[in-house]
Parts: sequence; structure tokens; C-alpha cells
Amino acid sequence: MNDKMNIMIVDDEVIIRESFSHWFQKSGHLVETAASGIDALEKLQRIAFDVLFIDIKMPGMSGLELLEKVKAEYPDTFVVIITAFGTIETAVEAMKFGAADYLLKPFKPQQLTLVMEKLVQQKKLACEYTYLKGHLDRITRFDNIIGQSPAMKKIFELIPEVAASDASVLITGETGTGKELVAKAIHAKSKRHSNPFVAINCGILPDALLESELFGHQKGAFTGAVQARKGFLEVVSGGTLFLDEIGEISAKMQVDLLRVLDEKKINRVGSSQSIDVDFRLISATCKNLDDMIKNNTFREDFFYRINVIIIHLPPLRKRKEDIPLLAAHFIEKYRQETNKHVDHIDRDAMKLLTHYDWLGNIRELQNAVERAVVLSKYRTLTADNFSFLNTTGNAPSRRRTLQENEREYIRYILEESDWNVTRAARVLDINRVTLHKKIKRFDLKRN
Amino acid sequence: MIRGEKTIGIIPVGTVPNLVLEIVASNIDIHLSLPTEILSMLAPPAAAFDEGRQQYDAGKVLQAMSSLGLERHKKVVAICNQDLFVPIVTHVYGEAQQNGKYAIVSLFRLHRQSERSKQSSLLYERTVKITLHEIGHLFNLFHCEDRRCLMHFSSTLEDLDATPMFFCNYCDHFFKVAAVR
Repeated sequence: MNDKMNIMIVDDEVIIRESFSHWFQKSGHLVETAASGIDALEKLQRIAFDVLFIDIKMPGMSGLELLEKVKAEYPDTFVVIITAFGTIETAVEAMKFGAADYLLKPFKPQQLTLVMEKLVQQKKLACEYTYLKGHLDRITRFDNIIGQSPAMKKIFELIPEVAASDASVLITGETGTGKELVAKAIHAKSKRHSNPFVAINCGILPDALLESELFGHQKGAFTGAVQARKGFLEVVSGGTLFLDEIGEISAKMQVDLLRVLDEKKINRVGSSQSIDVDFRLISATCKNLDDMIKNNTFREDFFYRINVIIIHLPPLRKRKEDIPLLAAHFIEKYRQETNKHVDHIDRDAMKLLTHYDWLGNIRELQNAVERAVVLSKYRTLTADNFSFLNTTGNAPSRRRTLQENEREYIRYILEESDWNVTRAARVLDINRVTLHKKIKRFDLKRN
Repeated sequence: MIRGEKTIGIIPVGTVPNLVLEIVASNIDIHLSLPTEILSMLAPPAAAFDEGRQQYDAGKVLQAMSSLGLERHKKVVAICNQDLFVPIVTHVYGEAQQNGKYAIVSLFRLHRQSERSKQSSLLYERTVKITLHEIGHLFNLFHCEDRRCLMHFSSTLEDLDATPMFFCNYCDHFFKVAAVR
């Protein structure tokens, strides 16, 4: 870590600000100054500082008031209180509010040197802590599955238990709830972790192509099959096959897969020779398979074969306590990706995110944070950065049917995507063909 | 010797022993390979004196120096016997304009006791170290984290006595690059 600090001097006396600036600039520190608490808070919104030197006695907002606000909004920023009117009581009060140190003007050069050495040391420790905490988080969060809600804690407990067995798993939950992440976590914790994890979105592929992708084909099996090709059921050998949108597969494919699950053998398309396969199946769906069974669109025997263990992921609106954690995670992710100094979110913005219904779940939240980070001019995201969220029309009326909500949400995403079907389908995590069908079924038209 | 027409001007502020000025000049020549010229005395500027603190404001002395019109000199270092301060700290041994033209060194506190106090050479050694350090700032060197470097910041005389008379490799390189410009 570099010993150079980003410092802000907050003092109403220009001579003190200049004196501090010259002093620290000689050590190569970056120095910014502010003449008042308001000025300092405005600069804090734009720039990340390591240390603030705050004069305790200023007109308007006092140094202690500013200290309190800084520690509430930017707890990682060190604050050193400076004063010419020091008493033990004010020193104690400043330390109580979280000041890192306290200096009486004018101070001896060695006192300032000691304070700076201490802060550099603390910054190093804080960096190490953040690194180790991040490392620990990576271990305990099952690769980006984040949550502290009771529902997610239960899932965290369930994943290692499920991973220990070889039984088929069905993961249910709305689009964008992180079904594939849970599947990956199960694979990562299982004895199959050193073998492939293959994910296929059944909703994207037409039936014939899905069959060829899964089972492979012999040379000449169909037009265009110019050479033999292994299917994913062979490729995945020893690993985990994740079939997303399992509710989209045809009745024929259900039968074919049922046979594979029973016999652990496949035949490539166009071949009569059986090949042994070894994989664990994890399926996922956002559909209600019980209803589909009742409507005879999903086979009951296949259903019982794939859902030996069922894991339901709750929608984000049912675990709102996870939103601040997720938002912070995505801010950090996009801060790193975009290399922008955006690392805070104010209370109003967090309140807005927490109260929003997130019909697109975590994926929608992730996209919203990415958009806000990319467009933000300041280091702190405010409610204005999320003005694109449709907060008034967002909360679905409880009197609406599920179908009405689906129609409304699809219309909303299409409007958001400027009626670019490919983009909208990606957000909705369905294929374009399905989206076109839904547009037709719901009679959706561009305004 | 590093090429360049202009020299380092050494200007006594108030009464300063000539021997000190000569020692400073020869050490600038030896350690930094820069030509020097000892200039006429400047009276301590009254505007820089702070009645409350009974000290001279180093920044204001530098301001006064800049109005002297010392065009011929690349950099100018003042040597004084007055106690110096900058507003945030009780005292300074020296002060310089970062990447600027003027610097000042005070002998006032360099006389203070140490185990080697009886050796007058210690005063000269300290004066030279502070002078070379401040010249480093004039050539835009920053404080160095290496305690074995002349650009390491010394907040006490003990620190100063433990600091060597030369730059570390990095500061030496940056100094040479800046000095030939």
C-alpha cells in the first residue's frame, strides 16, 4: 500500500488551510481544503478521502457536528480534530464520536508526524482487514449468493447438505433470483467439483437442437451433421448438468431425459450404440410445475424424478433485508469494473431501493445499480441516480391476477428496452420466441 | 558539475557567521554539484515577525525574499538566526517552496543540546542537512519514507542527527533529473 494519503483540511481560517496544505504537500500527500462543514460534506460526496483534519470551532456547522456526520456516512474516513481551544472534555467528546486523534494548535512537528504515522498504519490495517473480509466473504457467501435474511440463511445451510448427496435437485423461484448461482454453489461443494459444470437454458433452444446439444449426434444423423459430436450429457461426465427453464422442454424431451436418468445411458442422435453417462442433474424453473402437471403439459413421473430435493428461492421483495447488502455488493463490483469513485449510497437512495418491489429480482437490482454507477458524477449515489425506476407503478396491486402482473411487467421491460425484443428478452431471462409469443398473447403494443 | 548558468544564491537574513555560510556553500557544491554564490545580508523582514509568538513566520520571510528580484539565481536559500514557525506548528528548522525558488533555514534551534553538543561541527552538520533537504524541496523532491535518506522528514534534532547527509538512490535520481532541467 502507498503511504500517500488523500487529505482534506476543514478550517474557516485560510492561513491554517494553506499552512496544512504546504505541510502535507511536501510529503507527497494529496490535499484538498474546505472552509466550512457544508463545503466539506459537498466535497466528500465527490472525492474519497483517507483523512480529514477538522477545526472544532467553525461558524455554522461545528467541527463536532461535522465529525458526527462524517463518521455516520463515511465510517472508514479518519478524522483528526484540531483546535486552539482544547480541553480534555472536548477531546473526550471528539474521541467518543469516533475521531482518530486530537491536536492542539499550534502543535509540535513531531506530534503531527506521530499522528500521520499512526494513521498510515491504521489505513494499512484497514486495507488488510477489507482484503481478508472480502476473502472470507468469498468463502462463506457461496460465490456471490448474498443474504442475511432468514430465508437465505436456511438456503446457505441447505447447500452443503444437498451438495453431499447425489440426488437430483429442482430449484424454483422467479426470474433473477439467482437459481444458477445456487446450482453452481451446490456443484462447487460437491464431490463432483473437479469435473465440469454445464449449464443449458432449455427455453432458448428449439427441441431438435436441444436434443442434439444434450445427446450429441453421429456424422450424417441429419442435414448439417458433417461430423460426429459429443453431447453435453457426455461432456459433463462426472460433473453437474444444470438445466434452466426445465418447464420449457417438450414432452418428448421429458421422456428422453427420464430414460437417461433411470438408465444412466444415452444414444447419440443417429446412433444405436449406448454410451454410459455419469452426471448429477440440477434443474430450475420459474414456472409452477404442479399447475403444468394438472394441465398435462409436464409429466408427473419426470417431475418426481427431477425434484428429489427442492430448493425455493424467495423473490427479492420477500427478503428486503438483503437489499442493502446486495446493493453494496453491486456498487463495489461496478466501482471496480468501471474504475469510478462511486462507493457510497445515501439513506434516501437506499430507502428507495428497499421499498421498490424488484419484479426482475436481483438481476433488475444489479442492472439498476450498474446504470446508476455508470451515470453517477459523484461518489455517493442518491435517489436521483435511481429516478429511472418506476416507483409509482412498480408495486403490483394485490387485486391483480398473476397474469395481469406478468403482462404489466413485460410491458414495463419492453418500454424500458425501447421495444428492443432481444434486449427485453435478456432482462426477462426468456428467449425471444417466447417473448414474441407473450407479446402476441397479451396483445402488447408500442405506445 | 551540473551544467547551468544560474547558481544557488545563499543569503544571510540578519547576522549569520560567515563560516556557516561558507560551509553551507561548499557542501552544496560537494553533495549536489551545484554552483553557489553568497549574497549580501537581508534584514529580517518586520512584517514576518509575530508579536504573539515572538517568532518569524517562515512563509512571510519567503514572500519577502521573492520581492528582492534575484533573477540571476536558479534557487535562493536564506540562512537566519531567528526562530521560525509556520501557522500550524510550534517551530520549523527550515521551510521551502515546493518546486519553487526560495527556502530558508534557521540556526535558532540547531544549537540545542545533544551528546555531541560541545562539538561546534554538529551545528554545521545540522545546518547543512537542513539546507540540502530544503533545496531538495526546491527541486520538487518530497519527503522520503527511507530513514536513511536526506529527504526523510526530521521532526526532532535526534531524528536529524540520525539522518545521513545524502539522498537515497531514488531521491538522488529524481534530484539529478530535476537539477539539469
